[in-house]
Amino acid sequence: MSRQETRPIDTDQIKRMLKKKKGKMKLLLSHCVRCSLCAESCFLYMTHGKDPQYMPSYKVINSLGKLYKKGGKVDHNFLESIKGIVWKNCVLCRRCYCPVGIDIPSMITFARTICRSQGVYPRLDESISESWL
Amino acid sequence: MFEFVRGPLIWISFLIFIAGLLYQTFKFFNLSRKKELIFIDLPFNPEKPKSKGFFQRVGDWLVYLKKETVWRTHPLMMVLTWVFHISLFIIPIFLLGHNILLNEAWGISFYSFPEFISDLLTWIPFICGGIFLFRRIFLRRVRAITTGYDYLTLMITLAPFITGYLAYHQMADYQTLIFLHILAGEVMFITIPFTKLGHMLFFFFYRFFIGSEYSFGRGRRTW
Repeated sequence: MSRQETRPIDTDQIKRMLKKKKGKMKLLLSHCVRCSLCAESCFLYMTHGKDPQYMPSYKVINSLGKLYKKGGKVDHNFLESIKGIVWKNCVLCRRCYCPVGIDIPSMITFARTICRSQGVYPRLDESISESWL
Repeated sequence: MFEFVRGPLIWISFLIFIAGLLYQTFKFFNLSRKKELIFIDLPFNPEKPKSKGFFQRVGDWLVYLKKETVWRTHPLMMVLTWVFHISLFIIPIFLLGHNILLNEAWGISFYSFPEFISDLLTWIPFICGGIFLFRRIFLRRVRAITTGYDYLTLMITLAPFITGYLAYHQMADYQTLIFLHILAGEVMFITIPFTKLGHMLFFFFYRFFIGSEYSFGRGRRTW
């Protein structure tokens, strides 16, 4: 568990942020055909025994996708679970390839922005062995 | 009910389909208004002088397709998806039964395949759809991101072909099967613009208009 001090989650701010980019993000999320062909383009997926949780589509669906599904009504624990996905499981190398042409890195970036806005982000003083997932 | 489904509901479904696609197109171009010059070292770099001929550029593009796309990692899947999507278009358009109806209604028709050819071609979506369903159920990586919605959209896509095949071969009550076939087609038309089936349109928008490392065309739009 992170040692970050918890501060109240401003769900209104999250909702505003989600609404601001709703047009683009919802379009991209809705057009993911769940084919999993993006998997091999992620080196983290290839080097972690092809674990599905490192697939670009998995990362997006379980971070930003869940944020939109919940409409921004999330708590600190939820953002902590997303923190592991968008920071530990992704380095934003922008190598991910989608046959449909969905811009996956932009969605991961946006999810990071939302987490950061609520004070949820990896700290330098966190233990490396600490599991975020 | 049958008269409604084979009459007004066809018009309603076409209207929703066209209006939905126009709305999505407007939404895309509205959201991606900004344009910026992107220098990408691809065969279609717009800043390079046009010294290569058309066929040479097509050849370069085919090499790029093989090296830099999913063709390299999943060639079989790429062939299957190409064949599947092409069959989704050519089977209904060049089907004799559909062209007879078109001719009776508007006096126009397309070329029609011989019926046994259409019958054979209908097995393409069946086989490809079966493989996609197999992947969804048995491949761990696909199962991890699959929900009921994905099974539903696959069924929506295959239902017109299944019911049409059964109706043509009169494997059950013809009136019922043809009713289901028409209804399945209408459901598919209505759902295309508003579900992930919209990738029918957005594949081209994303890959040809949005500028990125993986663009196929000379797209310079950005979000």
